[in-house]
Amino acid sequence: MKIVISSHPKLLHILRGVVRYRAHMAGFPQSDIDSMAMAIDEAAANVIRHAYKDRRDGTLALEILTLPDRMEFILEDTAPKVNPEAIRSRSLDDVRPGGLGTFFMNSFMDSCTFDERCAEGNRLIMIKFLPRKVSTSDEGTSQKH
Amino acid sequence: MKVQVRNIETVAIIDCAGDVDLYSSTSLRETLLSLMRSGTPSVLVNMADVTYIDSSGIATLVEGLQLSRETKTHFGLYSLRNNARSVLELARLNKVFAIFINEQEALEKIATTLPFGGL
Repeated sequence: MKIVISSHPKLLHILRGVVRYRAHMAGFPQSDIDSMAMAIDEAAANVIRHAYKDRRDGTLALEILTLPDRMEFILEDTAPKVNPEAIRSRSLDDVRPGGLGTFFMNSFMDSCTFDERCAEGNRLIMIKFLPRKVSTSDEGTSQKH
Repeated sequence: MKVQVRNIETVAIIDCAGDVDLYSSTSLRETLLSLMRSGTPSVLVNMADVTYIDSSGIATLVEGLQLSRETKTHFGLYSLRNNARSVLELARLNKVFAIFINEQEALEKIATTLPFGGL
């Protein structure tokens, strides 16, 4: 599925709601559902603030793919290209307002990468793997990917 | 999100309800900073009904923390839900803020916190 919204911060709750619903349907535990919703919210907020520079007439498209072992979230915009280095997270020891959005995205997702092949705009691909189901033979082993 | 202020003696309590995100954190920021700049001795944020908080909401609280140092305001948070507590812990901010279990504890202890939030 794909959802397209304008780059207005008051619409971010719609993205969170859709992500929560789709992640729930995919079988993720509640803690992961909340984390994934926050990661997508942070990514979209970064687009609004840093790519569109708070312009509200841009577009944000979120494509959600549910695969057997993971969910993929593809966030696209038509804003000027951003330098990923310019929006990297701050050190956690440097307590000041801001700079945590990218940190939360990377903490909550298994992978967050900009698609460099994207000719115009920005394309961010975020992946979250489903926790492995514990079977008898898996007991005592890690569930993390 | 709803933001309402009530006063108990010299303590201003900001009751926050709903999602605190890039859009709604503006009203919390205005209220929080305004109370501190107006000389309120102690400011508490009641987060019992905060259903979600993102990095912009956290940035607002950190901004309040920084201003509280300048204005010598006692500043704290209380009744955090698990999701807000987890996010603050992940960002290692749980030891930076004065965080109380509930309103009763917050009112009892806020005056003894250092005037920048830390315990």
